[in-house]
Parts: sequence; C-alpha cells; structure tokens
Amino acid sequence: MRSRQKELLELLGKSGADLYALLTRLTLREDVAEELMQELFIKLNNSRGAGNVANLNAYARRSAINLAFDWRRSQKRTVPAVEQFSEPVSTEDSPLGKLIHSEEMQETLDAIGKLKKSSREVLVMRYLQQESYDNIAEKLGKTSHQVRALCSRAIRNLRDVLGSNEHKSSKKEIHNVANR
Amino acid sequence: MSQIDENQIHDSLKRLSQVEPSKEAIDRAIKRARDALIADEGCRVGLAPPSFIGRLTKLAAAAVLMIGAGYIAGRVSAPKPLNVQELQAALESSLKSSLVPAIRQELLSQMDDRWQSTLAASNARIKDELARQVRRDLTEFAAQTLAASGTRTDQRLNELIQLIEAARIQDRQRMASAFDYIESRFGNGLVTLAARTDELLGTERTGLAPDVSEN
Repeated sequence: MRSRQKELLELLGKSGADLYALLTRLTLREDVAEELMQELFIKLNNSRGAGNVANLNAYARRSAINLAFDWRRSQKRTVPAVEQFSEPVSTEDSPLGKLIHSEEMQETLDAIGKLKKSSREVLVMRYLQQESYDNIAEKLGKTSHQVRALCSRAIRNLRDVLGSNEHKSSKKEIHNVANR
Repeated sequence: MSQIDENQIHDSLKRLSQVEPSKEAIDRAIKRARDALIADEGCRVGLAPPSFIGRLTKLAAAAVLMIGAGYIAGRVSAPKPLNVQELQAALESSLKSSLVPAIRQELLSQMDDRWQSTLAASNARIKDELARQVRRDLTEFAAQTLAASGTRTDQRLNELIQLIEAARIQDRQRMASAFDYIESRFGNGLVTLAARTDELLGTERTGLAPDVSEN
C-alpha cells in the first residue's frame, strides 16, 4: 500500500466525519455529500499537489469546500424539498418555517459561493465549522487579527451579495406583477 | 431576507453550522470513500506500466514532438507554393501525352481478351443449346408422327367396320328377299310336302310298332 493511501485512510478515519458534515452543510443534501466525499478522496489520491502539502487535513478541507461550491454552481437553483435536509435547528417547527429557513440557508450558501476563495474559506471555517480565530489563523498562517479582519470583510461582502440578490429578486417580482 | 442585516446573516450561518448528518450517513459515506480509495488504488496498481514502458512512452512522445516540430519547420521554411492551376495544366498535358496511348492500348487488349473469353464461353453454350434443341425437336416430331399414324389407323379400321356392316346388311336383305321369293313360289308345295312327309312317317311308325291290342 502506498504511503499516500495510508495517509488518506488515516485522514478518513480521523477527519472523515468532519469532512462529511462540512459537505452536508455546504450542499444541504446527504446523498450529494456522500458522492462528493467519495470524489474528494479519489481526487486526493490522484492529486500530485496533495503529496507535497504539509497539512493534508487543511488541504482536504479546502478541496471539499471547492468541490461543494463547484457542485452548487453546477446545479440549477431549485428549492429543494424540506425532507431532503437534515434537521436544522429551528425555533419554528411548522413546515412553512422550515421551508423559509431552508430557503434562507440556500440563499446564504449561494451567496457564499459568489465570494472570493479566501473569504469563502474563512467564512466556512469560522461560521459553519465554528472554529476559533486562533485555530483558523494557525491553519492559514496568519495572525488572529488578520483573520478577524478577513471574517468581518467576508461578512460585509456576503451582505452586499445578498443585498444585490434581494434587489434583483424584488425587481423581478415587480416586473412579474406589472406583466400580469 | 427582505432587509439584509448582519444578524440575519449570522442567524442563517448559525443554522447552517447546526446542520448535522445522521450517524448512519456518516458511517456510510466513510465506508464508501474508503472502498473507493482502495478500488482506485487497485486499479492504479493493475494498470501501472513498468518503468521501461514509461520511458518508452516518454521517448515516443518526444519523437512525436520532434516530428511535429520538423513538420512545422518544413512547412514554414518551404518556398512559396507554385501556381496550382499552371502546375495542374502542365501535369495534365504531360500525363495525357504519355499515359493516354498506353491506357488506350491496355484497354483494347483487355477488351479483346474479354471478348475472346466471352465468345469462347458463348460458343460452347450455343453448341449445347443447339444439341438440346435438336433432341427436343426430334422427340416432338416422333410423338406427333405416332399420334398421327394412330389416328389414321383408327380411321381405316372404322371405315372397314362400316364396310363389313354394310355388306352384312346387304346379305341379310338378299337372304330375306330369297326367302320371300321361295315362300311365294313354293309355299303350298312345301306345306303339302310337309303333310305327306308327316303322314308317311306316321304310317311307318304304325307298321313297325307291335300291336298291343292283338296280343
């Protein structure tokens, strides 16, 4: 067995659950996350770049984020069925509340996908994976302050993207009403 | 999200962070990834070429590249192309003058050969056909002759029968007239003769027979 494969199997045992959870959060679909997880490890096994990286775990996480957002981009935007989601925590248990929250999550994820790679990564690590600033700083080779600034900028950018989406959708709504 | 503010974004991100896959799904995904990893490695080992093949492949690729480069250099450094139409006309005339007679001769000889072989084959075929035709005609003629002779024989026999029949009728008529004539001429005499004969015979019988009453 090659050393790369051994490393990947170790990574799978150690961080497989986290990576799968990350993929599930980014795709909001367990079946897709499963597919992407398999694809991720095959890519890592065949990738030349993965052999030279110092931190395979971080590399795998970055690849997982990219894979998930690539998948999101390749999908036509549809509102998925509520039961497709794993149970998100919601104060409102009604189906309508679930639907609204899932729609918001989809919008947020789509907006994150439109951000720059660095901002996207920081956002995912900080807000979706709930990692500490220090931890992120260590992983990215930056200081904690820099990470805070990055996160703040990423949130601002996200708000801008969501705002522009909102503006577009409201315009579209007005156009539809006018056409009726 | 009608009014976008950071709190809403944070809420949404928090909800996303709380999405957790089920334990079964995690186990399944990990197992699937592990299987895929092992299968992928197996394929790689099975298909990995030996090192000398790899070197050979590299050499082949280099050779292809060099040939490609040489071709491109040749194309680039080649003199300007001639006038294609002129070249075509010159080639056409020279080819015509040199090739046309030879082609014609070749064609003629080929045609001759073909005709000869075709005629030879046709000759044999015609001979067979003729023999078959003659045999068929002879058979037909024989059959017709037999049929005609049979018909004539039947006809002759019928005529003969008719003649015999006519002769017999004539004989009967003659016999009848003869009997009529005899009857008209000797009818009474015959009756008298018959009566006398009867009497005579009766007398003889009585004379010869013993008298039973006398005894």
